[in-house]
Amino acid sequence: MKQKIKYLIVIMLFSLGVISCHEDLYQSPIDPDSFTEEDVFSNATEAQGALAKLYASLALTGQQGPAGQADIADIDEGFSQYSRMLFNLNELTTDHAVVGWGDAGLPDLHGLYWSGSNDFTEAMYYRLAQEVSFCNSFIDNAAILTDTEVASYIAEARFLRAFTYFNLMDLYGNVPLVTSVTTELPSQATRTELFNFIESELLEIQDLLKPSGANEYGRVDKVAAWALLSKLYLNAEVLIGTPKYAEAVTFSNNVMSSGYTINNIDANGNGSAYDELFLADNDRNGAQSEFIFALNFDGMRSQTYGGSTFLVHASIGGSMNATDFGVNGGWGGLRTTKNLVNKFNVDVTALNNNLGILSKWGLVGDATANSWNGPDMEMHETGSNTFALYADLTSGEMKFRFDEDWGNNYGDDNTDGSLEAGGSNIPVSAPGTYYITLNLNNATYTITPFVGDSRGMFHKDGQTLEIEEIPSFENGYAVAKFKNIDSNGNQGSDAAGDFVDTDIPLIRLAEIYLNYAEATLRGGGGDLGLAVTKINELRERAYGNSNGNISSGDLTLEFVLDERSRELYWEGQRRTDLIRYNYFTSETYLWPFKGDSKNGVGVDAFRNLFPLPNNIITTNPNLIQNPGY
Amino acid sequence: MKKIKLFLIGILLSASFATFAQQTVKGVVKEKSSGTPLPGVSIVVKGTTIGTQTDFDGNFSIEKINTGAVLIFQYLGFAEKEVTITSNFNLSVMLDQSTEQLNEIVVVGYGSVRKEDLTGTTDLLTSKNFNKGPIVSAQSLISGRIAGVNVIAGSGAPGEGQTISIRGTGSLSLTNQPLYVIDGIPLDNGGVGGSRNPLNFINPNDIETFVVLKDASSTAIYGSRAANGVILINTKKGKNKEFKYNFSSQTTFYSIRDKVDVLSADQFTSLVNTIGSPSQIALLGASNTNWQDEIYTSAIGKDNNFSALGSLYGMPMRASFGYSEHDGILKGDNLQRTTGSINISPTLLDDHLKIDLNVKGMYTENTFADRGAIGGAISFDPTQAVKDSNSQYGGYFAWLDAGTGNQNNLAPTNPLALLDLIDDTAEVRRFVGNAKFDYKIHGLEDLTATVNLGYDTSNSHGRRVTSALIPTSDATFNGSKTSFIQNSDNKVFDAYLTYNKTFNQAHNLTATAGHAYQSFEYDNYNYDSEAKEDGNTYEFIDKSKNVLLSYFGRANYDYNGKYYLTATVRADASSKLNPNDRWGIFPSFAAAWSIHKESFMQDSFFNELKLRVGYGEVGNINGLGDYQFLTRYQGSTDTANYQFGNAFYQTFRPEPINKDLRWEVGKTFNIGVDFSLLDRRISGYINAYVKQTNDLIASAIVDPFTNFGNRINANIGNMENRGIEFNINASPIKTENFEWSLNYNVSLNDNKITALSTDQPQGGISTGVGNNVQVHREGETANSFFVFQQVYDVSGAPIEGVFVDRNSDNIINEEDKYINEDPFADILMGLNTNVSYKNWDLSVQSRASFGNYMYNDVAANKGIQVNATNNNILSNLHADYYTSGFTVISDKTALSDHFVQDASFFKIDNISLGYTFNSANNQTFKLYGSMQNVLIITDYDGLDPEINLGIDNNFYPRPRSFVLGININF
Repeated sequence: MKQKIKYLIVIMLFSLGVISCHEDLYQSPIDPDSFTEEDVFSNATEAQGALAKLYASLALTGQQGPAGQADIADIDEGFSQYSRMLFNLNELTTDHAVVGWGDAGLPDLHGLYWSGSNDFTEAMYYRLAQEVSFCNSFIDNAAILTDTEVASYIAEARFLRAFTYFNLMDLYGNVPLVTSVTTELPSQATRTELFNFIESELLEIQDLLKPSGANEYGRVDKVAAWALLSKLYLNAEVLIGTPKYAEAVTFSNNVMSSGYTINNIDANGNGSAYDELFLADNDRNGAQSEFIFALNFDGMRSQTYGGSTFLVHASIGGSMNATDFGVNGGWGGLRTTKNLVNKFNVDVTALNNNLGILSKWGLVGDATANSWNGPDMEMHETGSNTFALYADLTSGEMKFRFDEDWGNNYGDDNTDGSLEAGGSNIPVSAPGTYYITLNLNNATYTITPFVGDSRGMFHKDGQTLEIEEIPSFENGYAVAKFKNIDSNGNQGSDAAGDFVDTDIPLIRLAEIYLNYAEATLRGGGGDLGLAVTKINELRERAYGNSNGNISSGDLTLEFVLDERSRELYWEGQRRTDLIRYNYFTSETYLWPFKGDSKNGVGVDAFRNLFPLPNNIITTNPNLIQNPGY
Repeated sequence: MKKIKLFLIGILLSASFATFAQQTVKGVVKEKSSGTPLPGVSIVVKGTTIGTQTDFDGNFSIEKINTGAVLIFQYLGFAEKEVTITSNFNLSVMLDQSTEQLNEIVVVGYGSVRKEDLTGTTDLLTSKNFNKGPIVSAQSLISGRIAGVNVIAGSGAPGEGQTISIRGTGSLSLTNQPLYVIDGIPLDNGGVGGSRNPLNFINPNDIETFVVLKDASSTAIYGSRAANGVILINTKKGKNKEFKYNFSSQTTFYSIRDKVDVLSADQFTSLVNTIGSPSQIALLGASNTNWQDEIYTSAIGKDNNFSALGSLYGMPMRASFGYSEHDGILKGDNLQRTTGSINISPTLLDDHLKIDLNVKGMYTENTFADRGAIGGAISFDPTQAVKDSNSQYGGYFAWLDAGTGNQNNLAPTNPLALLDLIDDTAEVRRFVGNAKFDYKIHGLEDLTATVNLGYDTSNSHGRRVTSALIPTSDATFNGSKTSFIQNSDNKVFDAYLTYNKTFNQAHNLTATAGHAYQSFEYDNYNYDSEAKEDGNTYEFIDKSKNVLLSYFGRANYDYNGKYYLTATVRADASSKLNPNDRWGIFPSFAAAWSIHKESFMQDSFFNELKLRVGYGEVGNINGLGDYQFLTRYQGSTDTANYQFGNAFYQTFRPEPINKDLRWEVGKTFNIGVDFSLLDRRISGYINAYVKQTNDLIASAIVDPFTNFGNRINANIGNMENRGIEFNINASPIKTENFEWSLNYNVSLNDNKITALSTDQPQGGISTGVGNNVQVHREGETANSFFVFQQVYDVSGAPIEGVFVDRNSDNIINEEDKYINEDPFADILMGLNTNVSYKNWDLSVQSRASFGNYMYNDVAANKGIQVNATNNNILSNLHADYYTSGFTVISDKTALSDHFVQDASFFKIDNISLGYTFNSANNQTFKLYGSMQNVLIITDYDGLDPEINLGIDNNFYPRPRSFVLGININF
């Protein structure tokens, strides 16, 4: 009996232990950064953090910043940032950019020979599809909150979802259309179904979004819906085979009269209000008046290795001085091809013809076209004993002489601007186009670099225009468009110079102007005169004067495409534009190393679409790979 | 512990004492070679259950013995001896230490069995057979000793962690490490922050036995964590006798064995003069610096251990204290470790209650030299001097950016500056304690109740202090200090009942049933002081907890020691899995037949011949993160917030989720034969196995349209390992003065992924970003190399940028990559020998590996010409440049099969020679010397052919070392 009691006690002790243990199997997160659905959607203030993620997942790459807790697997976290991938897929694949790095799958993009498992085409799909899921989850969950502010959140989430689907449709063609949270394998939607969804969503939310300018910076208002409709309709012929240029005109018009304005504040006083759009303080220096939808970056609080941090660092190499760009060094990667550079070429002859008749005074020297032997570069007579010339010079020296005879020549002994007969050679320090004046009334001269279109921001020193081999940074001109200095010349907020403040506009008013002009030219029924006025608005900002203005006779489809290059290069638009003109894959338009060939060759038209990730095709049997892959 | 078991068995046996009229036999039992009396020797009268044990002085007495009776003397580690009683009733029995340890008690998890009665595939290695030499890590003790067990040191750093794989790779995403059970406490398989090796808390000198459970029929009792085998480590225990003391001390001299083959300063100068632009040539310096000589140094290590073993107030106990200090060959690397352990194992309540208390404590101080210096020293320009008097960076030469005047942000940092100006230290405290109570229930003596309570806690503090002088592109850099604190707690509660009875003197049954609970909890805290000064709160707190709850049972049955059956079952539930799939049931069965006990084998030359067959299932979720089935949102840190208006908001991200995660299940079939012959001069085993892992948990691609990420952990694949293991021990010579023993083991393993829906890129390399050189692919071995096929010219030199268009589409892209070999050895061998002559002993350990391939990442990344002059800096090249002539970086060249090389090898790991002085009073004094990392024979061009997972990237070289040591017993 005694033994049995002991036995019983042992069993009871065992059971007690076991029961208490069983409840311990129900563990829930104890990490202070881990939250539940109930936490996140408890009220509008908390839900704002979930909304912020919908924007942030296009700007940042994970929850730790600059790296850590990545959103996307299978690719370096810094590579997985949306606008960086957009650059890789829509700019690097075109005449706008080359990159020298040997990262997996990266050289394939400019060479137009990517495969169905390219790291970047895959990661972009993941990023965008994930953003759709984030938006779906937000829209589903936030519905329980009844605040009016939350109604605007939901409309913004729907805009972001439509924007994301626009990207998916543009890049990949036929992707699944998923509009609520589900784990079921989705079926493939056609581009028409996607188009109709995006269109109907945008039409519906245009009245749910806040009025123009009524939202805080960084969040979209109803103008964004109109702007995206403008893009959607402009590309409708490519996307669904049905032109919708009239609609493109209508919604471009809505945007143009919405209150958003082209930035004309030359905050840093350098003669143009264009470069302000790409400075560290572009969220407040005036440029923001033009930004309809922009990604916000901050060198301290929103850090990523993509975004503007990528655009600034990756563009710097060779003899470029990183300090001028507000960062601590370059990554020595990105450059451009001569196709883009040449779009900014100044027609020197036309400018000179406007100056006056040819004189016998000319420029001679190794900085001039024919060195010291002549024939000299003859100047135009602008007045009594005054002469001028727009001239393309190289670095070297020059003098003025009359009638190609050393008997009457002028140089400058003290480089003080006053001329001495038979004086010293005048140095020309850098190659470029110059405006040179000669005034024999008081024996003075000027030689000033000719700016022309200030949008062509290239670094040429130590670089070659032609590209012999892509890996060397010195091949091809470097691009100096994006900077991490503000309008006062100060570096952005990260004193270490690692991370950049500059925001990246995804849709800005200038693009809508160009949409309007193109849709009008394509028969959308717009006002051609208005189109010319709007384009001249952009060009006057670019030139700082009306030198570059066009007349309605100049406004052709070719002109608009080139103007889009000049205005919007490196802003993620080029591939889509080239496809609209059927230039992306065809032989019609070539650039260096198109199709992996030095002078460029056409490639198969199937490359107008990127492949769906092979991995996703394997995972979801409902999906059919795009043809050709 | 073993002795106690035997002692208890003895008590049990004497309980059914039968009475016949006879003589009392007395005597003493001694060890044959030394004459030391042996306490605790078990003595049984043959054919009866009558028996006793020797006392502390080796004396025994048994009453009422008939003339002609046979006494059987048994003692652990000694050959059994039978003595027939004739006219001498006062015996002096000498026992001989046996090479065979058939009667050894093997701990098999929640119990123990005699080695002879094992049905599963279990290897036992005792302290006697451990590897010699400079052993800082416990795992090194068994390297090359056991067929099918591969031990690879992570690097040559002191006390570095070791990867152990048992029978190949069993899982893709989860851990492939075996479960370590120390004195009955299963360890958490996560690492310990600031520590180089999770087993560092054990002093290798305290370890008595390693038991390696290889097949599922042995491991299934550990259920879900045993998928990759189990290593049971048992520390030395107290003995019930007079105190004996051991002191050992050894000093190790480390030196570098080999360096990476790079261009000399002269070769490099001539290369730059040939290929460089004038501005690049102008960068050349006038010095001749061998950077590898600069960063490596010879180093010294010291180990001192003291232990005492005996009985205190009638309680057997052992205490030990150890202190080690080792420098690394990378300048500044240092490990200091203090360990202490106490074991007390009293027996109370008329021997009904056995208590086993173990306490182990460790304190280590690590100083980590910055390993960036290793790669830096390979590529740093050899024409530059270490120091430059004009340098703003504490006199260390640095490549400056012409624009900013600070270090070029693409330049490598002077390796010596990394070593001298960064101070990275950590202290780890760890305590592991357990109390085990075995209570043989009064009145139900066949039944033992066991309760084991364990607690394993560690606490790490680390900090990395970077001097403001360090070369950096950050002009504002003012020095930094980042620090972390990590705590982890692992609690164990086991309770089980064991029933042991023999029926009809032939049917032996042992049954065990019980319950186990274990919880794992950790919190990490990181802090960045520089960020704090910048006005940011860079604090990351990371906390997690999971619980494992189990029921288990086992029945061992044998008939007359001839036919054995074992069945086990374990049910595990983990808080990591959703409530519906959280329980996994893992059964196993095994049978064995001791053929040599059959009558028809009476005259054979086999001393033992046993056939074993077993099948078992084990689960695995080791290494799976917690809470993955729950809907969770992750908040962003202060550097990943998003701006609306003028404010920055913390963002909340829904986390990838898999509500359907369930156990990964490994199923092993094993058949084996144990044998010994020629008077046990030769013994060994052979095993063949098939191990299938089903419902493999791997990070699987999901369409992010259906989840919140593109990969989730999911049960998506199957894998198979097949193999054969063979082990043989031989004692060709065994005389009084001269003894020679040999161990040879060989294992063949073939791994294949049998189902996996999408490829998984593996094996990141240093060229570019995002390049992977390996893949997990269905139909192939895990981690297979996945590369482009290089085209070679007629002279055999690779043609740069030309690869075989394997899919003939006139484009070379990812689709032209192919599977080319894998990093795992097809055949592994160990050959170990000991020779002793009089007081001398010599041992040699060697290993061989065949069919393991290596990707030479150093050559692929640093053997490319353009790197020499890229980015306005000069960088040295790997000498492979002279072979390949590759000039330009591209993702394809880096993935050329040119860099995948056969890394089969033969290594002599250690040669040791010792001399033992014997003195009176059983005191011994041994002096020994040994050499480690003696010889490597391989065709592989890199530094070391043995790197886990086959990617040779800036490997911390394993030093060659010389050891001098003494060992005193008194």
